[in-house]
Amino acid sequence: MARESFDKEIQFLRLLALTGGAYSRQQFAARLGISVHTYDKTLRYLKEMMNAGQHGLTKEQGAELAEGLRYNHYESADPLLLFLYRAKSLKETESIRLALIMSALRERELAAKELMDFLCDELPADLPAPDEKTIRGDLKYLEEVGVIRRADDKRPFRYRARTELVDRLTDDELIDLYDFVDVLANTQVPSVQGYLLRDTLKKALKARGLHSEVTETHVYKYHFHSRILDEAHLFTIYKAIESRRRLKFLYLSPKKGTRYNSKNTNPLFERQTEGLYEIILPLKVIYDHQYGRWYLVGHNARQGLMKFRMEGLTELEATEEVSQEEFAMRLDSAEEKLKISWVIDTSRPFKVVVRFFNPEGTRNNFVKDRVLSQGQWGTVTDETDETFLYEITVNGLTEIKPWLRSFGSSCEVLEPAWLRKEFIQEWKELYAYYEPVREDL
Amino acid sequence: MNPFEKIFNYQIISRLEETGSYALTSQERSWLKAMLEREAAEPAFEKSTREKLREMLHEEEDYRLQEIIIERGRSEVRQIYHPLLRQLRRSIADGKGIRMSIALKHGGVRSRQSGIPFKLEYSMVKREWYLLWYETRRRALMSTRLRNIISLEEWEPSRQRTAEAKAWLARALAQRVRSAEVEVVKGYNAELSRILSAFSCFDKSVSFDEDSGIYRIRIQYLGDESEFLLSRIRFLGLRVRIVEGEYMKRRMLESATKTLRRYGELEESAPVASADEADKRLSAQEAEGSTSSSPADGGGVH
Repeated sequence: MARESFDKEIQFLRLLALTGGAYSRQQFAARLGISVHTYDKTLRYLKEMMNAGQHGLTKEQGAELAEGLRYNHYESADPLLLFLYRAKSLKETESIRLALIMSALRERELAAKELMDFLCDELPADLPAPDEKTIRGDLKYLEEVGVIRRADDKRPFRYRARTELVDRLTDDELIDLYDFVDVLANTQVPSVQGYLLRDTLKKALKARGLHSEVTETHVYKYHFHSRILDEAHLFTIYKAIESRRRLKFLYLSPKKGTRYNSKNTNPLFERQTEGLYEIILPLKVIYDHQYGRWYLVGHNARQGLMKFRMEGLTELEATEEVSQEEFAMRLDSAEEKLKISWVIDTSRPFKVVVRFFNPEGTRNNFVKDRVLSQGQWGTVTDETDETFLYEITVNGLTEIKPWLRSFGSSCEVLEPAWLRKEFIQEWKELYAYYEPVREDL
Repeated sequence: MNPFEKIFNYQIISRLEETGSYALTSQERSWLKAMLEREAAEPAFEKSTREKLREMLHEEEDYRLQEIIIERGRSEVRQIYHPLLRQLRRSIADGKGIRMSIALKHGGVRSRQSGIPFKLEYSMVKREWYLLWYETRRRALMSTRLRNIISLEEWEPSRQRTAEAKAWLARALAQRVRSAEVEVVKGYNAELSRILSAFSCFDKSVSFDEDSGIYRIRIQYLGDESEFLLSRIRFLGLRVRIVEGEYMKRRMLESATKTLRRYGELEESAPVASADEADKRLSAQEAEGSTSSSPADGGGVH
């Protein structure tokens, strides 16, 4: 898939997943900065892909694509957004040929010439027989991605499919492996490789005649599915960090209306390029569990430490290399600055003191449990039978505020005084949002 | 380690399925190799299987993608894997019944609890495993933390009985679905992406009125999840307002009233909307996760 097309599809899927049916075709296309024609074409392609991989998708999921991607977690833990990674375009002849080669090599070891004979017999009559060069190219590719291996070093080389992970396990062991992959892919980041493996293992269980219920025992609650899309950039960023290369990209701030910027050379697209080209030295990636969102942290000579939402990154490209010393210095400095960031804020640190109230009428202190579990490096001290204090020094206050506010009346901000004032003001406004309710009671 | 290899293309995958073969790539094996090094791998396999897998993977390159990642805002991880998962998942798939002794939160044990297991559910917020099951005697949908299960044995229900229980559970879950609608307060439309992300862990649909420029998010949730949804709404503060769902609106008013009193900004005499009842429900619902087990539907649905 061309990069242009990939940027479009990722934004397309995100908009579908997040806005779930909010927009008409025209509105949707306008927000992506594409034509309605392109919208229709992309949707058609996604549907085609979904139909091809439909096993495991419920009928509802298939039908609802255009209305947005919806999840009912009791029906299926299959991540629909994974199909972004299945979208790389490929000629039909190539897909037929590669699949045939892999199937043959699962049965027995074969050399290139033998494979050619095999393909001549097996390929549909209307397709031209491939030449030896093509076959050698295929074998080289398949070996590179690790789906086949050479049997030994003797010439001519003979190859074999690397399906031992499935073939050497008993049914019972395969079920354990499927579960393990399912659990780790669903609960850890990064997860895309795990999800891809999960798909394959699921098919292997099915091929062994195990009932479909076997793969439907686990469900995951409060899952941020769109995180899977942003993992798309992870590999490029990792490569750049590993080789200490700067990254160039076009950043589309998610706060602006348009998500995807078309190249104005393409007559299908209507918009001119907006957004800013940035060049930074990438240092770390931050995953925020509160929203299921990713950030890129990097350094640029003009502005110092910078952070970008992954979803705004397009046209990523690695550029020149920096010295080991420079990279180490920038990384150390970034890590130091991020040490006491609730998420990514690196502004001035504040000491925050909060009084929490234990729940009344129950010995089950779910307030304290949650503070201990989510309060990061903050400390907890018992104050009275009814209350305890939570103290933390944190960079800036904007990021910790939502978390504190989520506790509602179980929490009272003591310090800093102006945060306390802000909370009072906000709660007054929230009170005003709902005050009319009282009259209805 | 590029996840955009053509080998993952959907056409290849579906053709392979037709011929009964698989494409297992180095990057998937590297990922698996790294995961097998984690603690979670211990309870996930028989020792012999784990060793067999390690041996098959030992030549793979190390998976290093996670080295560049810093995770923030995560709940402390209580468990990724629980030793009972293997046994329970088999009971579920084979349609078996179970008999359990369950530890109660404040000491004591409830023994010989008999039922039919339905799903294993992981809460990304509480970071631990629950068993959803049908309690035979009381005919109730139960949610029990795996770590509170002290003993577990199987029994053999008839196929019909299992099927009936599972159908009942599916219906009970469906009946517990509630919905609420929140509106994005217009001044915050620029933060739409953040707001939608915050709700993206729920089953939701969004509507947009072009004339008024107002976004509304309809959220479907299970009855016992209302406290979690409310905490998300409080999390977003002034950005959203509940426009549909009387119970939720009342709870938000109650939250605001009680909070302002904490700050001495509201007179004690101001009435709090059905606070007592709401308090009780709150404790029951929040406690749902932490007591050993309780009818997850509050006993209301039969």
